[in-house]
Amino acid sequence: MFPYVARRVVWLTIYLLFVLAPVLALLVGDLSPARDFWTEFSSAIAYAGLAMMGLQFGLTARFRYVTEPWGEDVIYHFHRLLSLVALALVIAHPIILFIVTPSRLRLLNFFAAPPVARWASLSTYALIALVVTSLWRVQFRIRYETWHVLHILLAVVAIVAGIIHMIGWGIYLVDPRKRALWIVLPIFWIGLLLYVRIIKPLFLLRRPYVVTEVREERGDSWTLVMQPHHHRGFRFTPGQFGWLTIWGSPFKITAHPFSFSSSAEVADGRVEMTIRNLGDLTSRIHEVPVGGRVYLDGPYGAFTIGNPADMHVLIAGGVGITPMMSMIRTLADQGDKRPVVLMYGSKDWESITFREQLEALEARLDLKVVHVLMDPPAGWKGEHGFINSELMMRHLPPPYREHEYFICGPNPMMDSIEKALGQMHVPLSKYHSERYSFV
Amino acid sequence: MRRRFAERLVLATAGVVILMSALFAYLRVAS
Repeated sequence: MFPYVARRVVWLTIYLLFVLAPVLALLVGDLSPARDFWTEFSSAIAYAGLAMMGLQFGLTARFRYVTEPWGEDVIYHFHRLLSLVALALVIAHPIILFIVTPSRLRLLNFFAAPPVARWASLSTYALIALVVTSLWRVQFRIRYETWHVLHILLAVVAIVAGIIHMIGWGIYLVDPRKRALWIVLPIFWIGLLLYVRIIKPLFLLRRPYVVTEVREERGDSWTLVMQPHHHRGFRFTPGQFGWLTIWGSPFKITAHPFSFSSSAEVADGRVEMTIRNLGDLTSRIHEVPVGGRVYLDGPYGAFTIGNPADMHVLIAGGVGITPMMSMIRTLADQGDKRPVVLMYGSKDWESITFREQLEALEARLDLKVVHVLMDPPAGWKGEHGFINSELMMRHLPPPYREHEYFICGPNPMMDSIEKALGQMHVPLSKYHSERYSFV
Repeated sequence: MRRRFAERLVLATAGVVILMSALFAYLRVAS
């Protein structure tokens, strides 16, 4: 297998080529007389910003080859931050022009400005609205599903209006070949969107799953057991996740990412997802009818078990237990004898999801479970509070830097664990994490 | 840590894009 680092370099190079090659292509062939450096620079960053905006569709198109070397959470964070960079470039473009030629400020008057400038304003406003509604969706109380539709619409408006502005301004796109390039590019970007929204759902429509059981778990959680319907399903590695669509077809705009909680060794394609009630759709999981049809797009994610020679330290918080459960069940089914320590933070003793199942698995594996409770019962002799470096060092044998660490839980917990592992001098290559709140 | 990794990646990408845009402008003005 081509190593992850090399694959990352290849994909990053391809990304930069897709952003920069169409910009540098503008320098080829017949050109109008050059303007001053800053005006030309402002044009270049506007073209690059638009190309970055367009490629955002590719980053969220769930191409497994692209996302695998990074992990889906890194790709989504990259996507989110790149939108800020694209916005900065697009806004810097008129600001530079206004500084160089202050008379251009009149173009800001939307009603008096020529159409070509209005398209630029429309593109910029759409991009600002897109970024603002994404950063503060929760504060604006926009439902995830509504936001998703709005997000796509604003992105398409920003790109199309930006392209019309560029063609209309006509400085660089007079040459028909260059104009063709910059018309084909947005068609390609929007094609990426159509791939996710039409082609992929068509494929998923032919591979439905049937819910065979809806099982209540401790901790206000439910496990959906799903069986492939007239197809063989897919193989996954423990720790990976899938995008689940319930109550609708795969054409439904919003699928939800959930980790698999079952063993990857199950031969008949059956998969389980354990979902905690966190509001929205997750509060209605228990209403999913047995026999109902659901759609699963997967598997995704690079959060999977590592070197069999190393002790595996799994650190889970709340529903972050699901990928760990899949790892532990898979290791048990494989008869794996590597030492595994699970440090599992829960609210209280009664709400520990998989508590009994973990007790049973301790007999089948070299597994030690350390429960860490926020609200321990009277007489509790185990760990309580937050998982930190002192707690980890109490339960792990040195040298700590030799073990493989897997972390999954709420963002604040993951931040503090990552800090604690740094204090324990655990190298970056030895810890693996997945943030389940990446969308 | 993974967030910081993504942040560094974005900074590097933005840096390359800005540098190449400056090169674009330089080549344009110099030619």
